[in-house]
This record gives sequence, C-alpha cells and structure tokens, in this order.
Amino acid sequence: MITLTSYLLISFFLFLAGVAVMVARKNIIAIMLGIELILNAAGLNFAAYTRFANQNIDGHIMSLFIIVIAAAEAAVGLAIVIRFFQVKDTIHIDDATELQS
Amino acid sequence: MDYTISSIAPIVLLPFFAFVINAFIASRFTRTAVAISCAAIAGSTIYAWRIFSDFVFGTYSANYHIHKVFTWFDLNGGGQEFAVKMGFYIDNMTAVLVMMVTAVATLIHIFSTWYMKDDMNYGRNGRFFTYMSLFTSAMLGLSLSDNLLSVFIFWEIMGFCSYSLIGHYYEKEVAGAANVKAFMTTRVGDVFFLLGIVALWTVVGSVSFVDLYNAIDAGGLVGKAVIGIPLATFAGMCIFMGTIGKSAQFPLNVWLPDAMNGPTPCSALIHAATMVAAGVYLSLRIYPLLDAGGLLTFVAYIGGITAFGAATIALVQTDFKAVLAFSTISQLGYMVLGIGVGSYNAAFMHLITHAVFKACLFLSAGSVIHSLHDHHTHAHVQEMPRMGGLRHKMKFTWFAMWCCTLAIAGIPFFSGFVSKDRILGDALIEALHSPVMIAPAVLGFMGALLTAFYMCRMMFLAFHGKPRDKEVYDHCHEEKFSWNRNLPLLLLAVFTLGVWFSGSLTGQGFVKVADKANGKYEWFQTLIQKPKKGQFENYKREALGSIDVREKGTFTKSKYDSTYGLSEEEAHHIHQVHYIGAGMSIVIAFTGVFIAMMMYLWGKWNPGFWVNTFNRYYRTLQGKYFMDEFYIDGLIKKGLLPFNNILAKFDMGFYDRFAIDGWAVVTRFTMRISAWFDNLFVDTIMVDGTGASVRLFNVILRTIQNGKIQFYIAIIFLVLFGYILAL
Repeated sequence: MITLTSYLLISFFLFLAGVAVMVARKNIIAIMLGIELILNAAGLNFAAYTRFANQNIDGHIMSLFIIVIAAAEAAVGLAIVIRFFQVKDTIHIDDATELQS
Repeated sequence: MDYTISSIAPIVLLPFFAFVINAFIASRFTRTAVAISCAAIAGSTIYAWRIFSDFVFGTYSANYHIHKVFTWFDLNGGGQEFAVKMGFYIDNMTAVLVMMVTAVATLIHIFSTWYMKDDMNYGRNGRFFTYMSLFTSAMLGLSLSDNLLSVFIFWEIMGFCSYSLIGHYYEKEVAGAANVKAFMTTRVGDVFFLLGIVALWTVVGSVSFVDLYNAIDAGGLVGKAVIGIPLATFAGMCIFMGTIGKSAQFPLNVWLPDAMNGPTPCSALIHAATMVAAGVYLSLRIYPLLDAGGLLTFVAYIGGITAFGAATIALVQTDFKAVLAFSTISQLGYMVLGIGVGSYNAAFMHLITHAVFKACLFLSAGSVIHSLHDHHTHAHVQEMPRMGGLRHKMKFTWFAMWCCTLAIAGIPFFSGFVSKDRILGDALIEALHSPVMIAPAVLGFMGALLTAFYMCRMMFLAFHGKPRDKEVYDHCHEEKFSWNRNLPLLLLAVFTLGVWFSGSLTGQGFVKVADKANGKYEWFQTLIQKPKKGQFENYKREALGSIDVREKGTFTKSKYDSTYGLSEEEAHHIHQVHYIGAGMSIVIAFTGVFIAMMMYLWGKWNPGFWVNTFNRYYRTLQGKYFMDEFYIDGLIKKGLLPFNNILAKFDMGFYDRFAIDGWAVVTRFTMRISAWFDNLFVDTIMVDGTGASVRLFNVILRTIQNGKIQFYIAIIFLVLFGYILAL
C-alpha cells in the first residue's frame, strides 16, 4: 500500500541524489540538474503532504510555483552557462573563479 | 644728600663697562682701550668723591650710613618667599676706602699709560688695561657690598684678575708659575671663607652685614655650635682664613713675592689699593664677629708673626721689588695685628696710608726699572747690587721714594707714623693688660725696627753710594718730564705726609669734619669708629635723638669696649700709654734708620761681617724660611702625595675593583637573566607566539575560504545534516 512514508522516502532519495550531484560533479549543467532534483524533491513533499494531511490545494499551488521558478531559473542558469562557455570555452566549475577575491 | 642705587652703582659699573667694552671690542685698538679704562676709573673717582665729601664735610655723623638693597632674584616657590637680596652698604669706613681705591687706582692707571707704552708699541693689545678695569671694579664692588655673598663674588673676580695680571708676560715661564701659585694659594683661604658664609647662612638665615651685626647684638649666635665649635668662632675663623689667603698672612704668605712677576703698575694695584687690602677690609667688616668669637688674640698673633717674619726676610733680599713685596706682607701683618689688638680705626688707617705710600713705592720702583731697562736684551735690571748712585740721575723718583720710605719707616710727620704708631700703642696697652698679648706687641715693635732698617737699606743700595755696575749706571736715563709718570708720583708722595691724616701740631685737626663736638680729634679718628656689640642698636636710637651713643649703652661690654674711653681715668691712662708707644716707635724707627746708615751709607759697619757671622740665619732668611720648600717638598711631596697615593690605591684596589667592577658582575648577571627571560618569554612566547597563532588562524580561514562553490555547498549540507542529526 502506498503511504506518506513512501512519498517522503522517494523525496529524501531525490534530495540526496541532488546534493550528491551538486557536490560531486564538476559540470555546471550537471549541477543545475542536481538543483532540479532538489527542487523536485521539495515539490514532491508539498504534493504528498497535501494529499495525506489536509484537503485544500495549497500544496499543489506551491508545487506549481516551484515548477515555474525552476523553469525560470533553469533558463537564466542556462543562459549564464552558455555565455560562460562562449568566453571560457569550457563549463568546468573550477574554472569559474572570476568572483573569487 | 639723597642716594639711590643708581647714584652709587656707577662707581662699580663704570670700570666694569670699561672692562666689557675693552674685552669684546676695544682691546685690539690699544690706545682706545687705555682711554676707556682711564676715563672709567676717573668717572668712578668723581662719584666716590661725592660720597666721600658728603661723609666728611657734609652730613657727617659717626653713625650715618647708607644702606640700599635691591632684590637680585626671587624664587617664589610654593608661596614661600625666597628673595636673594644684594645691596650697597656705605658707612664711614666704606666712604674712605672707596675714595682711596678710586683715587689710587686712577693714579696707577695714569702711571700705567707711561709704564706700559713699550708694551703697547711692541704690539700687545689692551689686555692689561682690560683686566685692570675689571680688577678695580671688583674691588669697588667688594667695598660697597652689604653682604658676605657679594663680597665673595667680587673677591673671586679679583682672584681671577690677579691671576691674569700676574701672568701678563705669559711667555715667561716664571710668570705662568707665579699666577697659578697666587691663585691656588689664595683659593685655600677662599674655600674656608665660603665655608664660613655657609655656616652663617644656616644659622642667621642671611649673609647681610646688617643682619649679621643685629644677630650678634641680639645674642643670636650664642649657644649655636658647628661641629662642636661655637658658631661665632667657627664662622669668624673660616672668614678670617679668607683674609689670611688674600692678604698673604703667615701660613699662606708664599704667593705674594711671586706676584712680582706681573707688570709693576699691577703690582702696585694688587699690593696697595685692591686685593691685599680687601682681605684686611673683610676682617674689619666682620670685626664684631671676630670679637664675639673670641678670635682677636689669634688674629693678633697671626698679624704679629706675619709682620715680623716678612720683615726679617726683607732684610736680605737683593731684588728691588722683592723688598717691597715682603714689606707689603709685613705691613699687612701690622694691619691684622691692629685688628687683633682691637685697634680697629688704626688698622683701617694703616690700610689707607699704606695704600698711598706703597702705591707710590711701587710706581717709583717701576720708574727705576723702566729707566734701567736694557733695550738690547729687554732685561729688567732689578738687582740692587747692580744699582747704586742712581740719585744723581733720577732726582724726582729718588725724592718721591724717600717720602714713602720715611712714611713706611714710621718717621714722624709722615702718614705711616700716624697709623703704625697707633697700632703699636694699642698693642702696648694690650700687652700691659694681658700677658698673652706681649708676644704680638714685641713682634710688632721688632718689626718696626726692621722695617726702618730694610727700607733705608734698599734706598741706600739703590740710590746712594757709588755706582756698582757702570754699564747699568751709564745706561740709566730718566726722562726729563712726563706728566703721566711724574704727576701720580708727585700726588702720592704729597699724600704720604702725615698732616692729611692726623691732627695738626695744635691738635685741632688739619681737615675738620662737620661733627663739631669731636673736632679736637683727627678727622680720620673721629670718622672711623670701632663697632661695638650693640652699637647698631644705638645707631637707631641715636637717629631718633633719644640717646647719645657715647653714653654707656645697654649693650654687653666686650673686652675691648672696656678699654675705650668709658671713664676719664681710663682715657687718661690710654693716652699715657699711647705717648709711651709713640715715643718707643720713634726711637725704634730712628734706630733702624741709623743702623742702615752705618752699614750702607757711611760703611762703618760692614754688612759682609754680619752675613758671615750669622751665615746660617742669613741663608734661612734668603730662603724665605724655606716655606716654599716646606710646602712643596714637605707638605705636598711627603704629606699630600703619599696620602693621595693611598687614596688612589684605595680607589683602584677597592673602589674600582669591588664597587665598580663588582657592580659590573652583578649587572652582567642580571642582564643575562633578563636577556634569557626576554628571549624565551617575551620574544618567543609573547611576540612570536602571537604571530604564530595569527598565522594558524590564517591558515584555517584561508583553507575554508578557497572560493570553491562545491566545497561551500558540501559544508552547508554537512552542517545541515549535523544539525538535523543533533536534533
């Protein structure tokens, strides 16, 4: 039977996977994918709590917001990455040291 | 007459300004310097004459005095006033002294323009006149001082000037040695003098003469003691040591004959008017202190020994100026003897008369020396055995010098008789009253005999008889007339006559003072009165017109007050003794002259016989009692040097080794400990430790802040997980 715990476990694994990707990978696009995973874990949590805890649609709306923000963020992030690639000829994160003092 | 500080100060300041101008500007232009010096001292004389005439002819009173005080500087610390005051104190004695100093110094200055003209022509600058001005200025300042401290200041300036003047011919080695000797010998006395001033200051709280006299009157010195000696005795003794040094009294008389190495006019100034007189003047000023301290007997002994001892040495001297030098010491001995026997006014009178005739004697000697000056070798002929018969060539000098010789010999109608006779008379009174005073009186009378003898011997050897050295005689040339030589000699010779100082034959007084009540005495005797204990109190009372000072005062009678004219009977007795003393001294003086004539003028008694008979004594006298040898070989080489060596050994062996080197060991040890502490604790732990800790934090922080985004994220999540787990 599918309970709240099942959803939370899935969400937890998604979150962990996202964190692991963000810390481990050097590719900026991969890191952005990791961020997507974390956002998805958050959205899944909202949807699950709405389904099992209270019967209004707040959680759904929040999930929709997350999806929209994730999309916008992905667009902006991708634009930065492309520009970065044009300048540096690479998307390796250790080369992005311009803001380091 | 009204006096202010500014009407008295020029007496001192004019010669002083002359000194300053000469020293810094004019000494290169010799003739200008001479003119400035002479003009300054002449100006002082005019100011001095104002005061003198006022005291003698004007507002004369035995008790009239001027005391003007000004504050030198004021240390007003903590609300407590501490003002150092200086001032002028002019009484009868000062007025006469200042007149004498300025007048004699003026004549000496004028004479110097003649005597030193070769000096100037040979390219020396005006150094001589520069120091003469300072010297005179210091003497005048000393005379006018109202306190012991400024006396001491001027006293020391005079010491320095005598040093400079005695060493005027600095290229001569003897002159260089003589000025050091004069300076160092008088310094011995000066140290004691300063000690006396300090002793008085600590007790009386002031060094002003007036305060000092008042303290003596009030009995302020009674019961006070310094190192177990009564204060008056201690301070009086110390200050009298200053007199002994400056006036060349017995133990410290060795410097004065050597002072002959200076130019003769400066000898005249030192020996007659200024420096040696200053010593006697100081003793006269502190007479009440000497009296209160019971020192007069001691003073009399010092004076008697000096008077007699120096006279014996003068018997055998062959140097023209050396005879005069020893006669100066001898005459100063008379003055001190006079102080010692309480003959205050006679001692001061002898100071004045001696100043006049001794100045004249020295200037005459300078005239002789200058005339015998050998222009080829530039050697001065001063040896009397090479002179003889000079009276044919130097009539004027011969005449002037005889006047002074008769004066110093104590022949009647000359000034020396008046003053010396009075001292001897008082010595006789003292000798009749107390056996202990017999010795000084006898020494005094014997000295008078010798004085008459050796002065006439000098005159006969130099001026009479046949020329002994033909070359010297032929060479001798006295200038016909030169006002700047003849005028001072003439004036001084005129003032060796006794009438200026004593009464006329009728006893009415040749120069009358304004005090009609005492007109029957000589002006000098009337003018100069012995300060008695309590007299200053009576000064005040008499000024108020309530009591006559000649009445018996309420003051304590000292030993000498009782001998002076308090009862008719006593006065009569004193007069009688004075007549006896005068008679004795006349007989003695003529005896001395007679012996000298027998030996050196008529050649009846052969001096060589006496020399051979008393050969040992003769050599002792020629060796000046070997006092120099005693001081240098005995006192310094045998006494002082071994003592110094012991001190030096102590210094090297103990003080240097233990105190200084030992201290170095201690210091080095402490230094090591502190260096170790410094290195380990301060440097290593504190300073370097601070640096190291800062660097450590720096490493940690730098490691964290590596700018790697993923590292930050990892940290964030690790912290987050840690936080969650901790919950």
